This record gives sequence, C-alpha cells and structure tokens, in this order.
Amino acid sequence: MNQGWTAVATWHWVANDENCGICRMAFDGCCPDCKLPGDDCPLVWGECSHCFHIHCIVKWLNSQQVHQLCPMCRQDWKFKE
Amino acid sequence: MTSMEKRLQKELQALTKDPPAGVIVNTESVSQNMSEWIVDLYGAPGSLYDGEKFQLSFKFSPRYPFDSPQVMFIGPNIPVHPHVYSNGHICLSILTDDWSPALSVTSVCLSIVSMLSSCQEKKRPPDNAIYVKTCSKNPKKTRWFYHDDTV
Repeated sequence: MNQGWTAVATWHWVANDENCGICRMAFDGCCPDCKLPGDDCPLVWGECSHCFHIHCIVKWLNSQQVHQLCPMCRQDWKFKE
Repeated sequence: MTSMEKRLQKELQALTKDPPAGVIVNTESVSQNMSEWIVDLYGAPGSLYDGEKFQLSFKFSPRYPFDSPQVMFIGPNIPVHPHVYSNGHICLSILTDDWSPALSVTSVCLSIVSMLSSCQEKKRPPDNAIYVKTCSKNPKKTRWFYHDDTV
C-alpha cells in the first residue's frame, strides 16, 4: 500500500485590523488589482502604525500633489523602516 | 469587476445590512448603475431638520476611492443651511481638499447629518445668489474656501 501524506501550512499577516482601510479587502486577501495574496501583494506600515496593502497606499500617495498624509489619521505618511 | 466596483459593492453591503440612523441608500438607483447612488437622509431628532427628508446624489469616478465622490443634495427639499447652496452644492472640506480614501459613503453621510445637526439658524450661504448663477454643475469644480468650522 502506498501511503502518502500532504504537508499543509497556513499563514496570515499580523496587522491591527482585518481589512485594508483603503480598498476594504481583507489583509489576508490581496488588493483589488492583484490575484494572489502573499509576497506579491505585501502589507506596509506607516510610522503612525497604520497598515495598508502596499499597492493601495502607493496609489494614494502618488495621487497627492502637496501633502502625503495617512488616510486614517492624516499625519504625514512615513514608511516604517 | 473593477477595483472601484469591488469597493462600492462592499460599501453597499455594509450600508444595507447595518445602516446608521437616518441614512437609507436607494438600492434601486444603485442596481441600475454602480457609479451613481441616491441616498435618503433624514434630519436628526432634536435638530432644526427633525422630520425633514433629503436626497443626496453620489457620483463616483473610476478612480474612487482615490478620487473623492461628487456629492450634492437633489430633489424638492434642499436643506436651508449656511453651507448648502440652493442648487444642492455643499461646502464641506472632506468632499474636496480633505478627502481620504479611508472615508466612505457612510462616513460622508454621517458628516453631512452632523453638519446639519449643529446648525443654529436656518439660512442660506451669504453668497448664494451669485454662486448658483456662476458655478459649474459639478461642485468639485468649485474652488471652495473653508473658513467656518462652527457649523
């Protein structure tokens, strides 16, 4: 008898919230422009501690000409190192 | 579905399932065209607008939520308020300069209900007559000056 087993692992992002405040999609999913969650659609944090899909926050920052503010708390947006 | 439609779909579900007091989305209007919504708004109990019914029109560009929606009062009853022009245009900073993609139809409606509720005296903006004669149809094209935070 040929007995095999299948390895299964799960993962999830560690974020304060469940959904991205910009696209409202789950952090464990991906932004609306991506197909697969994970490394291709990572999360980023600001120094203010708010978290977004990187694609969502970059789209927002690129659309702002004068000030680049966090969409949640309106502080100056700085990527957390 | 585009990313704008996906996000609006989520908002619609949340707003129909768990609507805040005095805010009712007209689902029939949305089912015909996702990018244009009509929302019924009721003046808050105890405010000067208690018992009044208003209608808000929302228009979304394909860039929503990065681009703010176009929001104005429509229909027979335009609230008489120092920040609401008689053509339905609303002077409210979150609709232009202070827009954030974290805002939503619900939060915009609540801001407008709250703006109405803090009103002490029902009157039109002082420049109403000249504004409605000269403005664009789209309130987002107006260069708004926000100076009065009290109402």
